[in-house]
Amino acid sequence: MDHLTLYGEQFNARLLLGSALYPSPQIMLDSLAASGTEWVTLSLRRQNPAHAQGDSFWQLLRDSGCKLLPNTAGCTSASEAVNLAEMSRELFDTPWIKLEVIGDDYNLQPCPFGLVAAAQTLIERGFKVLPYTTDDLVLARKLLDVGCQALMPWGAPIGTGLGLMNPYNLRTLRDRLPDTPLIIDAGLGAPSHAAHAMEMGFDAVLLNSAVARACDPVAMARAFALAVSAGRTAYCAGIMAPSQTASPSTPTLGQPLLAMPQ
Amino acid sequence: MSLRVGIAGAGLLGRLCAWRLALAGHRVQLFEAGNLHQSQAAAVTAAGMIAPLAELADSEPLIHQLGQHSLALWPQWLAQLSQPVAYAQTGSIVVAHPQDRSLLVEFNRRVHHQLNTLSDNQRSPTTLNGEQLRELEPQLAGFNHALLLPSEAHLDNRALMAQLLIELKHLGVDIYGNSSVDVAPQRVGENTVDWALDCRGVGAKGSLPGLRGQRGELMEIECKEVQISRPVRCLHPRYKLYLVPKPHNRYVLGATEIESEDRSAISLRSQWELTSALYALNPAFAEARILASRVNLRPAFTDHRPRLEVMPGLVRLNGLYRHGYLLAPAMVEAMLYQLDIHRAPLTPSQEEISHHAVAAD
Repeated sequence: MDHLTLYGEQFNARLLLGSALYPSPQIMLDSLAASGTEWVTLSLRRQNPAHAQGDSFWQLLRDSGCKLLPNTAGCTSASEAVNLAEMSRELFDTPWIKLEVIGDDYNLQPCPFGLVAAAQTLIERGFKVLPYTTDDLVLARKLLDVGCQALMPWGAPIGTGLGLMNPYNLRTLRDRLPDTPLIIDAGLGAPSHAAHAMEMGFDAVLLNSAVARACDPVAMARAFALAVSAGRTAYCAGIMAPSQTASPSTPTLGQPLLAMPQ
Repeated sequence: MSLRVGIAGAGLLGRLCAWRLALAGHRVQLFEAGNLHQSQAAAVTAAGMIAPLAELADSEPLIHQLGQHSLALWPQWLAQLSQPVAYAQTGSIVVAHPQDRSLLVEFNRRVHHQLNTLSDNQRSPTTLNGEQLRELEPQLAGFNHALLLPSEAHLDNRALMAQLLIELKHLGVDIYGNSSVDVAPQRVGENTVDWALDCRGVGAKGSLPGLRGQRGELMEIECKEVQISRPVRCLHPRYKLYLVPKPHNRYVLGATEIESEDRSAISLRSQWELTSALYALNPAFAEARILASRVNLRPAFTDHRPRLEVMPGLVRLNGLYRHGYLLAPAMVEAMLYQLDIHRAPLTPSQEEISHHAVAAD
């Protein structure tokens, strides 16, 4: 079986979904089911988590049967992110955290300095940190140095749907960190983007807007599940190397007729 | 035959139900857990838009169809008030800043996609260039692309809520404020009735599985320098912003959608997002005065569809979510049908939201 291993735990699904922006919670639940995901991310920042007043919505997510992956979306400093991570560990009884520390408000680009600082603190406190990072190799190494065992590099800025903006950097990450689980998080718009990421050898993809903002989110969740599966299967099968020279798949040499008369 | 009807909850649905029943000659008692004049109802916090077309971008066609039905009923019903309440059906505007123009394309695409599934091309949004936009709303200066959603309406919701209370008193409805009551078939509190109506919104959470509250925050401002006559939605990658004009140079500015049942005051961040988006609509809004900020919970089911739960002697109306004024008349009419008062057949969408349940215990 082709498992995804994160912090020593094995998972079957290679597609992770977010829980924001759906037309209704029911459509979200149906999309989660259609995607076959095992993980759903959720954001706490604006829900007054200290008073657990988001509980009606969180209960729906728990009932989905998916593993909850709280995130620190909306945090712009390491200390904010660490506080929110502590709160979500307490609320959801999980050491997992998708760490986001945002450095720019307009394109929601991760802040590398805050990210490394927060990751270090959280790892020391026993969290299983999945950091949302750029495609920068040096930053990726720093995150691994402080103890992260998996990374979530962006494809493009959150919510843009632009796909894999910098395939060179992403390929560098993949080539130079062959043993680190790498999950492409953010910026994917079409199932072909997900297939492309998986064909390049990334371990999983995380989506939200591309599914939630589709005219039919449930159908789009299914489309992404198929694309992820196709891309992963293709990667494992070994994709042929491109070549400049045509080579016929059926040898014509020695055939009595090159063209059948109609 | 005159019916005795007891209603729990004096929000928009409770007041409208009471009014339509009393007008039809039935004896109505109305109970409200909170204060009647400083109502906690979501309808008082709302902006009072009746925007079935705009909702197509984010909601399923059912909401649009119920909204179209309500849009036809509102002018007829409002004409029966003894004092007029501001109501305008002049369409609404959707704009996006130049860097966010793709959102306008996306919005238009989603509305058209849904209209196609309804085989309805009569009410499509109209694309406006900057000049055409300024003919309608001269003070939306910074925009070169916009959409006009024709036939959409808005009303002065706070004036309507107050006026409905006056109408009910004129019609002899017994109204009890600060009275939290239980609802059961043919019983409201200690009173035996022919029909009980449960219109408690989020207050009915214990009685309706799956009902939750979603936090919404909005602001009321006054600005004499900027004259905008139609509701304006500004599409932004992260905020939802609409501006709805009210009488006397007032505007309602909304609204956040936060998955929490937190009723505490508006957050600094929400206020900052709303006001900075407003400032970007027209910088003259900088000198607007903030009259109030309001926070409330939208009662919603998981599928964001409204529901009429019907059993002998009891109808529960709930789950209007962010669509109170868009859906209420169609819901109230469906309720009148269940009580055998409205005899015309229901529309398919009204049928779809009416669920017949057997009475528990």
